[in-house]
Amino acid sequence: MKALCWEGINDVRVQDVPDPQLLNDQDMILKVRLSTVCGSDLHLLTGHIPFMQAGDVIGHEFMGEVVEVGSGVTKHRPGDRVVVCSFIVCGRCWYCRNELYSLCDNTNTNPAITQHLWGADPGGIFGYSHAMGGFRGSHAEYVRVPFADHTAIPIPEAVDDMSALFASDSAPTGWMGADLGGVKQGDVVAVWGSGAVGQMAARAAQLLGAERVLVIDRFDYRLRQAELAFGVETINYAETSVGDALLEATGGRGPDVCIEAVGCEAHSTGPQYVYDQVKSKLKLEMDRPIAVREAIYNCRKGGSVFVLGVFTGVVDKFPLGALMNKGLTVRGAQQHGQRYIPMLLDRIASGELTTSHLATHVMPLSEGARGYELFKKKEDDCLRSVFRL
Amino acid sequence: MNTAGKALLATGVATAVAVARRRRRASHDDTSERWLAVTVNRAPEEVQSSMPDDLARWHDQVEISVRPATGDKGTEIRVKSTGEVPAHELRLALRRAKSVLEAGEVVRPDTAPTHPGPMGKALQLVTNRAGGGGRL
Ligand SMILES: NC(=O)c1ccc[n+]([C@@H]2O[C@H](COP(=O)([O-])OP(=O)(O)OC[C@H]3O[C@@H](n4cnc5c(N)ncnc54)[C@H](O)[C@@H]3O)[C@@H](O)[C@H]2O)c1
Ligand SMILES: [Zn+2]
Ligand SMILES: [Zn+2]
Repeated sequence: MKALCWEGINDVRVQDVPDPQLLNDQDMILKVRLSTVCGSDLHLLTGHIPFMQAGDVIGHEFMGEVVEVGSGVTKHRPGDRVVVCSFIVCGRCWYCRNELYSLCDNTNTNPAITQHLWGADPGGIFGYSHAMGGFRGSHAEYVRVPFADHTAIPIPEAVDDMSALFASDSAPTGWMGADLGGVKQGDVVAVWGSGAVGQMAARAAQLLGAERVLVIDRFDYRLRQAELAFGVETINYAETSVGDALLEATGGRGPDVCIEAVGCEAHSTGPQYVYDQVKSKLKLEMDRPIAVREAIYNCRKGGSVFVLGVFTGVVDKFPLGALMNKGLTVRGAQQHGQRYIPMLLDRIASGELTTSHLATHVMPLSEGARGYELFKKKEDDCLRSVFRL
Repeated sequence: MNTAGKALLATGVATAVAVARRRRRASHDDTSERWLAVTVNRAPEEVQSSMPDDLARWHDQVEISVRPATGDKGTEIRVKSTGEVPAHELRLALRRAKSVLEAGEVVRPDTAPTHPGPMGKALQLVTNRAGGGGRL
């Protein structure tokens, strides 16, 4: 079958790879219909996550049709339309039972790497490096889905393929940021990053009762899109001081909840960007936490900051003083998708949540390299490239 | 490849080598030094009565202790070698036993790519045995 493979830093190519097989009783094989790029893939492309092998199939946000199920699969049948969460979960360990799905104990087949790196291993992810299990990704005609009953979720009739696609990763990630960030009725919420994840977090904050939501980015087309889709307020950090704008919007208090949806390759207009870039090139710092610093600095006293952006290692100049003295709660997580996906699909069906506008560039898999190029360079007003299989 | 790219690859290899080195050290000196443990999300009676083969097969070379975990966290299975069982074998056995008890099977890894490249080969050295490594 054809699949889009990581072949080296900033080098992805469509290759012929063997078809996936059922390897476990609880596996199923999915015929992929739609698979989208995600900001997390950019960290693989740039080599920020150096646990890739040439020939690894990438992609982790997808939906499709079941074609084969193992003897231990009870919830899905060939022909079913499902959305698959980017995280593979067993559904029965303590973490899964407590709805902390991305922390599943039984799905990372290479636990040693992250145990040494982070002290403990999170669950496995599709197409997201050998540190996260080395599973083949979804930019392919077929994909093997382990623990299929728990990892994949049926799509209701009323939800079309494109809308369901984003219930795999960006929508549940955004929802988790607002939910676990503790958004309450009447809150002012600031979201850094107007990509798919940031936009979904902004919408989630509104639906959870936030009175004002402000989205921060430097790409006007992305800010405009968030404004059009959800009626949020926007701040272009290349033109306006984010701190001043947030103080003005909150009567001098600062936002109640700050959601960071940017990640380890954050960009900045100030001198700290050069400092972080130089340091990360020299390997003195692995990640660039620019938006995290800004969120902590601008959050109101006693407020909450949720880190959705992906980080892999150590960071520098972490504003510990602000965190401690302002009494902040700082949390982060990989998405606990299965906790939210059924509810999100219902909200999509009822029209409360729109997601399909995120797919600005739909193309065949053969154009995979171009899809990543557009997404990475934010060209042609690209928000997400989606591959149709 | 640009310089930044090379530096990033070097980090990956360094991490891989560090993991491999740590494991080599581990298999020499911690065969029987401490209890290795996993917590299983099942009741102690269930764990006792259905100990998976992965662990049961070592019964004459290891001490096995089963006790309730604190809170609602299930059951702690702890093992300590009384003979020459290498720690990585015990880690692997504990992880497999836990997965079987909780989820009914152990997820098999997807097949590795055919042309991993030099960095990928270094990584494969680690991942081939990574199931028996780590901090467990
Ligand atoms: N926690 C999870 O489970 C999870 C899941 C999916 C994605 N992610 C992460 O979420 C992040 C966003 O993903 P995405 O798909 O939306 O990516 P994206 O690249 O489309 O969007 C990121 C946006 O952040 C903006 N940005 C860069 N620097 C900024 C700054 N200093 N201040 C404000 N905005 C800034 C960029 O201009 C861009 O629009 C990534 O780090 C991704 O890895 C996490
Ligand atoms: Zn993602
Ligand atoms: Zn689990």
